Amino acid sequence: MPSFWRQAIELGRKDLRTEVRSGEVLMITVPFGAAALMLIPLAVGTDAPLLERIGPGMYWSVVLLFGVLVTVRQSAVEGQAQEDLLGLLGVDAAARFAGRAGANFLLLLLFEALLAPVALALYDTDPAGFWWLLAVIPLVAAGLSLLGTLAASIARSVASSTLVPLIVVPLAVPMLLAATQITEGLRIQATILGWLLLLVVMDLLLAVAGVLSARPLQEATR
Amino acid sequence: MLQDIVDLKGIAVRIGDTPILRNLTLSVAPGEVVGLIGSNGSGKTTLLRVVATLLPPSEGDGTVLGAPLRGTGEERYAVRPRIGLIGHVPGLYPNLTLEENIAFIARMRGIPVSEVPLVLDRVGLGLARGRKAAHCSHGMQRRAEFARLVLTKPDLLLLDEAHAGLDPQAADLVAALVAGARSRGGAALVVSHEHARIAPLVDRFVELRAGAVADTEWSRT
Amino acid sequence: MIQRRWLDIAAVGTLATAFVTALVVPGEQTQGDLARVIFVHVPAAWLAYLAFGVTLLGSIAYLATKKIRWDRLAAASAEVGVYFTGLAIALGMIWGKPTWGVWWTWDARLVLTAVMFFVYLGYLALRRGIQDPDVRARRSAWLGILGVVQIPLVHFSVLWWRTLHQPPTILRPGEMQMDPPFFGALMMALVAYTVVYAALVRRNMEYAEVEAQLHDAMASEEIEVAGAAITAPRYGEVN
Repeated sequence: MPSFWRQAIELGRKDLRTEVRSGEVLMITVPFGAAALMLIPLAVGTDAPLLERIGPGMYWSVVLLFGVLVTVRQSAVEGQAQEDLLGLLGVDAAARFAGRAGANFLLLLLFEALLAPVALALYDTDPAGFWWLLAVIPLVAAGLSLLGTLAASIARSVASSTLVPLIVVPLAVPMLLAATQITEGLRIQATILGWLLLLVVMDLLLAVAGVLSARPLQEATR
Repeated sequence: MLQDIVDLKGIAVRIGDTPILRNLTLSVAPGEVVGLIGSNGSGKTTLLRVVATLLPPSEGDGTVLGAPLRGTGEERYAVRPRIGLIGHVPGLYPNLTLEENIAFIARMRGIPVSEVPLVLDRVGLGLARGRKAAHCSHGMQRRAEFARLVLTKPDLLLLDEAHAGLDPQAADLVAALVAGARSRGGAALVVSHEHARIAPLVDRFVELRAGAVADTEWSRT
Repeated sequence: MIQRRWLDIAAVGTLATAFVTALVVPGEQTQGDLARVIFVHVPAAWLAYLAFGVTLLGSIAYLATKKIRWDRLAAASAEVGVYFTGLAIALGMIWGKPTWGVWWTWDARLVLTAVMFFVYLGYLALRRGIQDPDVRARRSAWLGILGVVQIPLVHFSVLWWRTLHQPPTILRPGEMQMDPPFFGALMMALVAYTVVYAALVRRNMEYAEVEAQLHDAMASEEIEVAGAAITAPRYGEVN
């Protein structure tokens, strides 16, 4: 039997390949997020200074609210037959979690990367401290992926497309605050290290929780 | 005397509040092939999943390939790779090709990927291996699952409605798979509504009635 | 009979006393009668946090011991808690509108209470969707653990966020200048509501136990297996 990491990578590859074939994230979720970004100025007013101020907040809010849809996408939902198959393969439950979270992480990274220029254009925001943002984007993608994957396995086969967002969104508040405070802090040259640390701590705690809960949650099935 | 491959005693299974199986006792010896019959809703699929160690019983106990059905999961995890289950619904990823589906299994089990085209060829899907599973007919998907069994060579074969959607050529595959398991000292549990079709394959029939094994056990003869 | 119901009797008794005290005590200096809202709001807020804590503790205890009683405690506390959280938020808004001029303010504790409310709702929605008691207990316990991990982070980050933005000091209900009789009435209310919480949680747990007994009764030999519902078709009557 292959090692833990080999299994996790293989599972992640399978998820990514399935997603590439269905194209749901690229062709549906990303445009949906972009449409949301476009909707907001229509609602609040196209006042340039206003939009410039709310731009970063709107970007991170859309990333959070719509990014969670990536973790409950159709191609990630497995039927009983596939569950049984994976069960009989003797796959380590924690490897399943790691593989799935890894695939979700890459898809969320893509999601954030594609929406960023849309936000920059629509809201005409100046991306100050660009290099630091390159660190924040993966940290947020990791946190959202871990939280979403964990919530999806807790809510498996229970109206998950709506329940998972309900579980994720309130608990993702620290991520949202950290991301927006860092973006704002870079603009006014305030200290951001504390918020960065918060993101890292959150990601680590979620990773540990995900791995520890993987086996008990998998056994809890009927 | 070798230990039974499947040994169930007084098994009861409830899904939520609904009792499906009750007081079920069954044993399958090494080298034995058992045909499982019963009317719709009698619990055949549920029983197969219990034997596959995927569904823990609410009451009763038993062993499958030596691993206890109750208790910690370690032993169950260890025997699962030796079990081959083909359920009602094909266990394939619809967006992946047949070859990719089987290659995924191979990689997860540490079997060389070079064997995959050979195995698909053996079940008659060699030319169709680049087709997405979603675009394949039910019978083709079934054959792909047989390919999986040829690849993994399980000791305990569990076939649910094995002949459904298969043409006569593919039906021979079922016989070959069952013979293979038998020759390895394993066993097979075959569910089918087509008694005539599986009669040549099985050593005895077991009927499920009222959630348990009915008193009448029919032998082949 | 009296022994089993002592908690319910105590709850009704203390609640009645608190109610009377709240009405009888002289009104607060600046706010007059409006301030009486705090006799319900503050206890409700206190209970929101207490119930949440009990749910989280119950979740951890269930995963550690696998005794279903802990899961019942966690669920019962969440069901009671969600109502008190909603009540606390609603009353806070009713008090806030005349006092601050707005229904809502982005004060750290308010935001945290709102977040907790949503977490409660998610927890209860999850439980509602799962029939099997063991599966339900295990999955909701892990959601409870997730809450334990995340809520302090939420609390800390929101607090930090507010301090960075230096809002004007917001007078919160319960932080006003209080005369001793007023304060006494508030304490009475806190005690009363805690007893009511305990009584409601106990009732809830008893109810859950009865449900479990019903579930077990379904296993008895008198109930037919599901397959018995399928009978042979009557071919002559099909066309």
